[in-house]
Amino acid sequence: MSDRILRLQHVEIRVPDLELCTAYYTEVLGLIETDRDVKDGVDRVFLKCWDEHEHHSVVLREAPTYGLDHMSFKLAEQGDLDYFTEKLQAASVPVKRYAARELGPGWGEAIRFESPSGHLVELVHGMERLGNMLPRTNPPPRPEGLTGIAPPRLDHVFVMAEDVEAFTAFFTDILEFRLTEQILANDGHQLAAFLERSHTPHDIAVITGPNGALHHFAFWVDEWNAIRDAADTLAYHGVTIDVAPTRHGVTRGYTTYFFDPVGNRNELFTGGYWVDPDFEPITWTEEEMGRAIFYYHRQVNEKFFTVHS
Amino acid sequence: MGILRLAHIDVRTPDLDLATAYYTDVMGLQQVQRGSVDGADAAWFKCWDEEDHHSLRMRYNPRTGMDSFTFRVEAEDDLHDYEKKLADYGCQVSRVSKGEAVGQGESIRFEVPSGQIMELVWDIEKTGNILGKHNPSPVPPPDMPGIAPPRMDHMLVNAEEVGESARFFQDVLGLRLTEQVLDGNGHQLGVWLAGRTNSPHDIAIVNGPNGALHHWAYWLDDWDHIRKAADTLAYNGVQIDQGPTRHGVTRGNTIYFFDPLGIRNEVFTGGYWVDPDQEIITWTEQEFGKGLFYYENIVAQRFLRMHT
Repeated sequence: MSDRILRLQHVEIRVPDLELCTAYYTEVLGLIETDRDVKDGVDRVFLKCWDEHEHHSVVLREAPTYGLDHMSFKLAEQGDLDYFTEKLQAASVPVKRYAARELGPGWGEAIRFESPSGHLVELVHGMERLGNMLPRTNPPPRPEGLTGIAPPRLDHVFVMAEDVEAFTAFFTDILEFRLTEQILANDGHQLAAFLERSHTPHDIAVITGPNGALHHFAFWVDEWNAIRDAADTLAYHGVTIDVAPTRHGVTRGYTTYFFDPVGNRNELFTGGYWVDPDFEPITWTEEEMGRAIFYYHRQVNEKFFTVHS
Repeated sequence: MGILRLAHIDVRTPDLDLATAYYTDVMGLQQVQRGSVDGADAAWFKCWDEEDHHSLRMRYNPRTGMDSFTFRVEAEDDLHDYEKKLADYGCQVSRVSKGEAVGQGESIRFEVPSGQIMELVWDIEKTGNILGKHNPSPVPPPDMPGIAPPRMDHMLVNAEEVGESARFFQDVLGLRLTEQVLDGNGHQLGVWLAGRTNSPHDIAIVNGPNGALHHWAYWLDDWDHIRKAADTLAYNGVQIDQGPTRHGVTRGNTIYFFDPLGIRNEVFTGGYWVDPDQEIITWTEQEFGKGLFYYENIVAQRFLRMHT
């Protein structure tokens, strides 16, 4: 049987200043520009992390506003496109299908639909492969001469929804994600949910907030020391750090949050734990929410809940 | 259908009390049960973050060695499907009923082409990690003894015919080849294979005597923990085989060392994400030194020749 959804493939984000953001994502974050195009009269820049093999993991699209255009998850097999189309249509969710390269350079064959929270979700198969920056014969463990933070790969995306439970049900029942952790209000309703396909604590997470909003997207780094080095790089470049290096209770991850030049929140993340398919979800209660989100400080800065894009 | 991950390893030790002291006080595992297997004293151990009943079983025997190794499958129905696939390949498959083995339900057992006994299981008794599921601290208590790795990670076995073993693990069991070392004639000297962990390896096979266990490895979260583990090992007088250093193969950071009865252990971190459609990495024989130990660039003879 197919593995179905493997992991987060890419995010496309809106940026009001494409050149400024391209400079930030390539020189400070240290992603690699792989392509540019003009789609419906709008300029786009395609970026990837050094250890990623496929054409892009972040797409910047020039737009008057900031925020998330869509998120895309990688499918293991081409047949998964039909499989999920049928499941979505059976649940009366309209699905659009796109041929390979129709959505842009390097793009695979894809389906798109809306989640109950109004986010545009894509499932994709057959992305163009450019390779990582290492040879496949006798490769060194990492390339030399990388710029900026240079995380090896995109890790997860965090969005907001008015109805977190409906979002969770959609992602678990139809897209077959597994719930790993949740934060419950005192009246028992879900304030936040963490969902995975990759056997890690999360590939996508959702917290109560406006429909369609992006809270952040996160890049993987290999360890806590890399989080500290990244904070040095961010501070050196005058990047606004939202949350300095610290630890999550939820996911157990190490983290730092910061903003790109137009206000989209980014994260660097490491840690977590292994998740079996029959993992019993972890529950955090409302009064422990501070510890759940920032374990050392036990409180969440107001900006973290209210600022999104 | 598929192989999910390594579940547990069952070994024999000539001094169960000494081994128990090492695995609990130095390695920092928890002893979850003490009892007997086939009339011999036995003990079961797990890491603090493992939810399964155990990841290591040791039983007394005058000779050190491996009884078997166990992988967890992705779904309950998989055992039936694997039973058929293995029989078609020509393996003698035996079913172990629920209640016959401590900490797990029904399983199947068979001999892999290189002679080790392998087991597949879905139904594992879940006893939980030490943190629980309700507002859990992200870290275990600070006073845990020893290295205290969160979980077991992978294992390496030897095989006289690595190529034959690699084909078995890929074609019959559905593991994915991530890296290989080829000799000058194009024969596989070593292969690294992954279940569904999307990591560089859950099991590796390197040229050596059939039936042998080379090592098993515990996961640590970062390089700094590898350094602290080396301090703990040295303080306790444990014999370090290699490291702390870096692998070329898997990119991992590592230390190899021996338990008091000569079984090689490893602590490991790093690696990279592997998609199922990723092109494999090949190491050539002349770069094998770097593939094994990237900084030292040596084909370490003790490392290749000593096994259990």
